[in-house]
Amino acid sequence: MSAPPLLQVDRLTIGFRSYGQQPRILHDVSLEVGVGERVALIGQSGSGKTVTMRAIIGTLPMPPGIVEGGAIRYDGRSLLELSRADRNRLKGTGISIILQDPMLSFNPVLTVGRQMDDIVRYADIRLGRRRRAADRRQHIVQTLEKVQLAEGGRILGSYPFQLSGGMRQRVLIGMALLNAPRLLIADEPGTALDVTTQDEILALLNRLVAEEGLSLLLINHNLGVVRETADRVYVMEKGRIVESGTRDAIFSHPTHPYTRKLMAAVPPLYGAGVTTVRNTRAGDMPAIAIEGVSKDFLTRGGWLNWVTGRFPAVRDVSLQIAPGDIFGIAGESGSGKTTLAKMILGLIQPSAGDIRVEDRAVSVFAGTEEFRKLIQIVYQNPGSSLNPRRTVGDQLAVPLKFTGHAGARIPGQVRALLEMVDLPADYASMYPHELSGGQKQRVAIARALSVRPRILVLDEPTSALDVLVQSTVIELLHRLREEFDLTYVFISHDLSLMRNFCNRVAVMLRGEVVEQGPVAQIFDTPRHPYTRALLSAIPVISEAEAAQKPKITN
Amino acid sequence: MLPYLLRRAASLMLVLFGLAILIFVIARIVPGDPARIALGPLATDQQVVELRAEMGLDDPFLVQLWTYLSGLAQGDLGKSLLTSRPVIDDIMAALPATFELVLFTIVIQIALSIPLGVLAAVYRNTWIDNVTRVMSLIGVVTPAFVLAIILQLLAAYYFGFFPVTGRIDPGIAFEADRTGLLIVDGMLAGRWDVVGDAIRHLILPAVALAAGGIGQVMRITRAAMIEVASRDFIEASRAYGVPERVVTFRYMLRVAAVAPLTILGLEFASLIGNAFIVEFVFSWPGIASYGVRTILQKDLNAVIGVVLISGVFFVVANLVIDILLGILDPRHRLRAKGSE
Amino acid sequence: MSVLPDGAPGNSRMMTSRQMALWRFTRNPAAMIGAVIVISVVTAAILAPWLAPSPESAGAFVDFRNRHAPPSADNPMGTDNVGRDIFSRVLFGYRVSLGLVLGVLGVAVPLGVVLGLCAGYFGGWIETIIMRFTDIMLALPPLAMALAITAVLSPNLINAMIAITLLWWTWHTRLIYRIVKAQMNEDYVEAAKVAGASHGHILFRELLPNCIPAIAVKTSLDAGFVILFGASLSFLGLGIQPPTPDLGTMVATGAEYMPEMWWQAVMPGLAILYAILGFNLLGDGLRDMLDVEL
Repeated sequence: MSAPPLLQVDRLTIGFRSYGQQPRILHDVSLEVGVGERVALIGQSGSGKTVTMRAIIGTLPMPPGIVEGGAIRYDGRSLLELSRADRNRLKGTGISIILQDPMLSFNPVLTVGRQMDDIVRYADIRLGRRRRAADRRQHIVQTLEKVQLAEGGRILGSYPFQLSGGMRQRVLIGMALLNAPRLLIADEPGTALDVTTQDEILALLNRLVAEEGLSLLLINHNLGVVRETADRVYVMEKGRIVESGTRDAIFSHPTHPYTRKLMAAVPPLYGAGVTTVRNTRAGDMPAIAIEGVSKDFLTRGGWLNWVTGRFPAVRDVSLQIAPGDIFGIAGESGSGKTTLAKMILGLIQPSAGDIRVEDRAVSVFAGTEEFRKLIQIVYQNPGSSLNPRRTVGDQLAVPLKFTGHAGARIPGQVRALLEMVDLPADYASMYPHELSGGQKQRVAIARALSVRPRILVLDEPTSALDVLVQSTVIELLHRLREEFDLTYVFISHDLSLMRNFCNRVAVMLRGEVVEQGPVAQIFDTPRHPYTRALLSAIPVISEAEAAQKPKITN
Repeated sequence: MLPYLLRRAASLMLVLFGLAILIFVIARIVPGDPARIALGPLATDQQVVELRAEMGLDDPFLVQLWTYLSGLAQGDLGKSLLTSRPVIDDIMAALPATFELVLFTIVIQIALSIPLGVLAAVYRNTWIDNVTRVMSLIGVVTPAFVLAIILQLLAAYYFGFFPVTGRIDPGIAFEADRTGLLIVDGMLAGRWDVVGDAIRHLILPAVALAAGGIGQVMRITRAAMIEVASRDFIEASRAYGVPERVVTFRYMLRVAAVAPLTILGLEFASLIGNAFIVEFVFSWPGIASYGVRTILQKDLNAVIGVVLISGVFFVVANLVIDILLGILDPRHRLRAKGSE
Repeated sequence: MSVLPDGAPGNSRMMTSRQMALWRFTRNPAAMIGAVIVISVVTAAILAPWLAPSPESAGAFVDFRNRHAPPSADNPMGTDNVGRDIFSRVLFGYRVSLGLVLGVLGVAVPLGVVLGLCAGYFGGWIETIIMRFTDIMLALPPLAMALAITAVLSPNLINAMIAITLLWWTWHTRLIYRIVKAQMNEDYVEAAKVAGASHGHILFRELLPNCIPAIAVKTSLDAGFVILFGASLSFLGLGIQPPTPDLGTMVATGAEYMPEMWWQAVMPGLAILYAILGFNLLGDGLRDMLDVEL
């Protein structure tokens, strides 16, 4: 690079004082962002990428954070040596940010307009500019147009919770851009959103960088997103930069073992790397038969909890799941996939239609011990599905205790269960918070399998996990399926994962199944426009895969 | 805002209705004959029988409840055995004094506790924080009657400026006949001597009554401010260059104020309870003094009336708090429908 | 695959959460002071007959030669209007106060907790009935109600206990209800249902452990407030009756001799304050240690 970089982080080392100890969380981190450049910082959770971001924008709480060494330079000026006032002058006008969760990034009790006006007004005061309220408002509306929000007036009068997720994300980007910053730091933009919305947001960011001459520092864990939005990439692991280079170099020839491991863990959507799972066991009787099932939810309110309205969550769904299938139910948030899963388990009663598990109606079968020994569930977030105040052993014992297992034999069975999911037997005495995310999910899987069910409902079992951990859990699920002849119902929004894990897939949209069939058919020749849109929005990690995605013509 | 208010008001009316029934039921299931209790051990059986008839105690329970509720609807709380006047008249006569005291107390509470809580949170873990926290602790742990006695003692013997009993100097001739509140009526009549004297009388009882609440609310304000300070949107506002002062007062306090206000509403019942002690110590001519006297005389109708009117106070105070919450936090009024 | 899949355990085992909590507690001077105060009050109450310089002062003892004596080596807190040693009466007064605390919280806490658990877990009409009833109870001014109840039932320790208990459970119900409602959004409750667990198991083995920290903090704070509440009742003459040595009654009687013989009201007053302070500091310390919000 010839021009001096706009942002230069130079051997930054940061410690964090807590409970009398001072572990280092950043070690000699160096990175540069040039003018007009898009740079990505990749790392899994806990790698230190958010701390790096906070150190740059100056919101890292100190103490407990302590800069032990290094420097951050912006436009040639050393940020850590600037006076507080000078540093504040850069906020929003020099460097601006987009935080991860658009809902949490707004003050919930002030209108969007009020919050945006404050940002413009106080920047004006700092910079000695004078503008009337009407001019500021016009500026804000123009900025909202840049992020493709036409109804500026209506949005400004709204409270954050009245906007949709995608709108909030756009307004947030607009907020970051209000004072024309030169460097934009984006922390996981769009991660909290559905894949189709995320795709639009990434396209918007790319366009803004090109049109406004912005520099972008993108902080992300998703390699596919990074490939679509970065010119250069830094890979971070445990507080250190382990590899850096241009996007093409990193994606085509990763050199560091950690980077390679990351790449290998991303399930491919198309191409030679894809594994197609087959069900060799299929018999005549379906494991699960769903006939014309619908579910309306009632909304309740008021002092005495009266019914105030209804809303359809699942509409006329019919599916046949064969024994030995790994049947994927795909859909974005609010599509009704989890409601459907809960109806299969008999936790929610359908408003209409019929569900049969191994040819027996769930409506009468559910709640019996036999039913529990037939079908079980693994939840999305083991942090929530495991009781934080009970030991692993206690929790594994619950299903055994309530299916008539002799009390004396339970500790031995708990040990066997832990070994089955590759955990040491002495984990029985630990509490969930002493385990890593992946280990917790293994415990949850062991609990579901403790009564040896034949069918397992997996509700996004890996979506709360890092991609490296995800691949080991998926491996475990494959092995257990072989070992115990299991049938899986796999609920997910991650289509790349489903391509490699399932043998059949149903795609849901607003409570309805819009398309279903064998996995290869759905992915290679999708027919429904929604399926095509979903597939084309998935960020992938190679040019070859991107070329094979269905093309959308607007 | 209006539908929200109507909804809140309706649910509070239900609380009040339930309260009326509950108090009546408690008064009737208490062991012993209310007439016998009221007349004392020296009364003859004949007297008891007559009083039973007069109080309607021989009617079936539901008839009694109906008589009581329909009387209530017309503002009839029965007759006081102590004063032989309708309870409602006694209460209305004593109400303004209590209302003035409680209102003044709440003003002191809000004016002191929320700013101090904010101060403690902003200067967290400095000497300012430590001093305010110790003050809040002293407020919380000092019994109202101990504080009342200490204040009275100090006032009586060390600084005579604050009178130790009553609402107004007996030497001042003034009839509070518009609102019954001395400060307000004094202002309306242009009698500034009355206003000044009334405030002088109010300070000590109000401080004794406010101390506990100030401590609680201060503590909760501090905790809420610290919690809100760690939210993403605060980091975002700072990163966008909104000045610290605006972040603290517009962005943090507005969100954090919900917790202390809710507590103020809930603690209102305790405040009324403590008024019984404070009015008693300071000979304040309010409903709590009346309540203590009638309770000591086992004057059942009057006791029911006093408890009920306290409940009305509580309900009205919480309605006001709900309105404030609705203004502060739009989610309260716009999303209050609840869903499943 | 390695022996430990998916990396090291989430929390480094350098310090377990329990050690960390204890560390926070011992580094918190206020909490430690609170613990010391509470221990001293409990010890005083248990050992009153042996610690008191003049155990006979606890009863209807009269020593007119020695009345209104100011604090001295013999009578550290002075003597009262009939010559009884106030310090001895305070020690015995703690017995009465702690007895009241045990009686009230021993019934009100379990009752409130069970109702809160049921309302939050079962929902539906059970929730509506319990919580609406609680709302109504919360609108009652507690001191006025307790006064009225003891007055009608005739004032003594047991009736004061009953009156306070009747009003106290509501706060625990509200607290536990709120916690359980939040816990119901967690999947572990449903997971237990899917595993076939009984309602009793879910209520007391799954949900209750998650309420324990909040109950511990609330109960510790409550202990102080029950003492305060009981003393307020007796101060107005409607709690425990003489000659039982009760701190509130002592303040009320002593107040008549203010300010010249200040110790008669001030010493028992400070004794009340000391106990309430102890339970409050302890409760706050537990709150920081267990990281709960009330």
